Amino acid sequence: MNLPRLRVRRPWRLAADASALLTAVAVAFPLYWMVLSAFKPAGEIESSEPRPWTLAPSLDSFRRVFGQQEFGRYFINSLVVACSVVIVSALIAFLAATAVTRFRFRFRTTLLIMFLVAQMVPVEALTIPLFFLMRDFGQLNTLGSLILPHIAFSLPFAIWMLRGFVKAVPEALEEAAYIDGASRARFLWQILFPLVFPGLVATSVFSFISAWNDFLFAKSFIISDTSQSTLPMALLVFYKPDDPDWGGVMAASTVMTIPVLIFFVLVQRRLVSGLGGAVKD
Amino acid sequence: MKLSPRLPALLLAALVVTACAPRTSDNAASDKDEKSGTLRVWLFQEVGNKPKEKVVDSVVAAFEKAHEGTRVDVEYIPVDTRAQRVKAAFNDPKSAPDVMEYGNTDTAGYVKDGGLLDVTEEFGDWGEAKDTDPTARQSVTVDGRLYGAPLYVGVRALYYRTDVFGELGLKVPETMTELAATAREIRAAKPDLYGLVVGGAYTYGAMPFVWANGGELATGKGGSYASTIDSAAARKGIKAYTSLFGDDNCPAAKCAGMGGNDTVTAFAAGKAAMAIGGDFSHTAVEAGKVKGKYAVVPLPGVTPGSIAPAFAGGNNIGVLKGTSHRSLAVELMEQLASKRTQSELFDAMGFLPTFGDVRQQVAAREPFVKPFVRTLGAGTRFVPASPAWSRIDSSLVLPTMFQEVISGRKDVAAASKDAAAKMNDAFGSAG
Amino acid sequence: MQSRKAPWLYLAPALVVLGGLLVYPVYQLGLISFFRYTQAQVSGGEPTTFEGFGNYAELLGDDRFWQVLLSTVVFAAACVASTLTVGCALAVLLTRVRALPRLVLMMAALGAWATPAVTGSTVWLLLFDPDFGPVNRVLGLGDHSWTYGRYSAFLLVLLEVVWCSFPFVMVTVYAGIRAVPGEVLEAAALDGASQWRIWRSVLAPMLRPILTVVTIQSVIWDFKVFTQIYVMTNGGGIAGQNLVLNVYAYQQAFASSQYSLGSAIGVVMLLILLAVTLGYLRLLRRQGEEL
Repeated sequence: MNLPRLRVRRPWRLAADASALLTAVAVAFPLYWMVLSAFKPAGEIESSEPRPWTLAPSLDSFRRVFGQQEFGRYFINSLVVACSVVIVSALIAFLAATAVTRFRFRFRTTLLIMFLVAQMVPVEALTIPLFFLMRDFGQLNTLGSLILPHIAFSLPFAIWMLRGFVKAVPEALEEAAYIDGASRARFLWQILFPLVFPGLVATSVFSFISAWNDFLFAKSFIISDTSQSTLPMALLVFYKPDDPDWGGVMAASTVMTIPVLIFFVLVQRRLVSGLGGAVKD
Repeated sequence: MKLSPRLPALLLAALVVTACAPRTSDNAASDKDEKSGTLRVWLFQEVGNKPKEKVVDSVVAAFEKAHEGTRVDVEYIPVDTRAQRVKAAFNDPKSAPDVMEYGNTDTAGYVKDGGLLDVTEEFGDWGEAKDTDPTARQSVTVDGRLYGAPLYVGVRALYYRTDVFGELGLKVPETMTELAATAREIRAAKPDLYGLVVGGAYTYGAMPFVWANGGELATGKGGSYASTIDSAAARKGIKAYTSLFGDDNCPAAKCAGMGGNDTVTAFAAGKAAMAIGGDFSHTAVEAGKVKGKYAVVPLPGVTPGSIAPAFAGGNNIGVLKGTSHRSLAVELMEQLASKRTQSELFDAMGFLPTFGDVRQQVAAREPFVKPFVRTLGAGTRFVPASPAWSRIDSSLVLPTMFQEVISGRKDVAAASKDAAAKMNDAFGSAG
Repeated sequence: MQSRKAPWLYLAPALVVLGGLLVYPVYQLGLISFFRYTQAQVSGGEPTTFEGFGNYAELLGDDRFWQVLLSTVVFAAACVASTLTVGCALAVLLTRVRALPRLVLMMAALGAWATPAVTGSTVWLLLFDPDFGPVNRVLGLGDHSWTYGRYSAFLLVLLEVVWCSFPFVMVTVYAGIRAVPGEVLEAAALDGASQWRIWRSVLAPMLRPILTVVTIQSVIWDFKVFTQIYVMTNGGGIAGQNLVLNVYAYQQAFASSQYSLGSAIGVVMLLILLAVTLGYLRLLRRQGEEL
């Protein structure tokens, strides 16, 4: 680790350690409460004496969640959508980021600004035009209607973030590769791609989250074929305004958060170096 | 070549207007009338839906048996996402069902959106239809044409806690003034209870107060309505309702945001001494903590002994315009809304039948519906039969008005004036 | 690699996808905003009519719109400022602590980041629930309702937004600080500069490209905040007191079926974001930063 080795005096370091731990506790508390509430037996959540522990953990709330029709199917659908979006948008963004960093051409800056502008589009407002588009493509009621728009919405940010990462690969490496007789495709996929990979992972976190969490498109585009529904739709059942089933909501939320959390923990290292690299010019 | 500087602008405008008008759907009625195949049905998913499914399943089984080669595919639509689903179905006829359940306040809107099939003739030929009560019939009627069959009616009445009333030695209020006084008395004696639980977003619980005071939502016929929510009588009703919010009955901080279901939930959980609930809330209350400790009476009106006019809610079953199985779909609609089904649905879910005779039968069977039948008998009101109503309803014009008054942001006059302006705006653009 | 066609070849997939699924829908959005376009038009019950700037005139003449616009701007600014402050402060803290506390804080932050917006909003609502929530209990607030008052409701949403968006800032800035050569900081520390001074005159300038990115991203995200407001204030709060533009547009378009008005709001939002970001970029360029 090339951390700046500062000569921090001991008491200060202790104070810093303590405040970091305290902050961590505060930040993690809502998550803890979520999991706790999911395990609390019926009746204990709706108690006016909320306790930060439970003496009789129960799986009832989880049973209600998993007992839903075709829950497994929704889970797999969600995974398919999120993974397709991550892979496809990473590949497309990699190519585009290479183009805008390794080449000088007309409209380059304009394009860059356009990628930035594209992120500002309020997604919610586009549901109607997208609905007609999907209908004309015959994609309504299919997972495609969820995958396609999410690829489009995650691309601009991915390109924008990947840029710095591609730039960080020295030009000399490229020249050396050509001198060695490598073709452009070979350079691109066998040399550049592995080097940029950590950055790809970092950006894919964003596309994974947005695709995984989406319920706006699922609600609008999956109309008549419930077998194509996704996880957030199944969880929406518990968000009944009239009868909030807090236990069910929290269990469902836990189930929905865990895959993202696993994904995060897996890519944690690369995420940090990736985000650092992405902006290091 | 010299171009007028305005030419590009004109060209652009022409392009925008002609070539690229925004996308729309072609929702023409299908002229196909296939006699076999799959019929898709959308019904609402109720809280505790199993008994409803059972009744529907038996209707469907009989229907499939009677029509060889026909399959009925029933789907229960979560209440939360139904508006979007239905809109999407109008926009993509391929995804649309053949038969669907819809709230009766949406009738005019759905007809205008071009979604529902005119079944006036079939309805006329249907033997059972003559017993449909006029209020229910009105709820499927737009401009004299019928667009579905009523499935059940819902009216609200006053639920109260018999144990609390007994303990405090109170008698059941006979006028609206007494109602408010009783509510405050209970709250004063038992500060952990709401006297009468009310909700700022509970339009259909609030409207009886307006109607009882002689107010109206709007007046007019056909397409041209004008809001009268800011009339003196209506204001009196709004004032009566909003004065119930406060620490002496139902604290604004808690109650301003509540909707109808929240108030019923609070009552069922034993947190309120009185609530305005529907016949359809009966099951939920029975399942709550207050089972056996409550009774229901019609909501009192302004003068002793009178009944405040209730809102005649309920659901209908309609056929979608785009169906390619017109005859089958209409027949299935009739089966789903038949006397027999309605009677069974009452037993299963407590839904009040729309046929006068069936309603009498079930009232004899189940005494709890008596106050609701009495409320219906005393005369009910309906929302303006204008397509604008859906918009007024979903853009929360009335809840906003009540909440503005409750939170003290505006006085009754200003809030009702603004609400009237918004309603007129909606009526105007829908006309 | 200096061929004329090559960059466009690489860009082709991205441009096709963005053109079809983003530019074209945005074009449609703009188009709709010039028409009368309600549910009746969408489902073909009535013909669409060209309204020119009618929808915009209606929008700009509506007091509600200006009020919502103002709260959106103030709320977004507060969110951006808080998120950046918390994120940067914790990033600096991360560089000052030992490996274990660092790992713990990093994991907690990633957890907050990973939580879906709907879920996060619901959990925060439960934490602050007047009847069942632990927060009121600890603070001794009785059954105080956080969502009733306009400002306390906004504060609650702000807390949630900061909670779920500071990790991005923290991780990015932390990664940036790590890339700063240690000697530079060492030298500053030897000169006896205070923590604040080191940040102000050494770190912040070196981190400027990173800070630019996180600022722009935060502005974009916080200005468009939707789920948190929608879930936590139940679609805009008591009498619509907590509406922000994105939710307002959604309500207009989907609750009221006024698609053209909703689209017009969407276009206005886009323009405002565009102006803010381009202004910011121009400012940076004047200070010698390159895009």
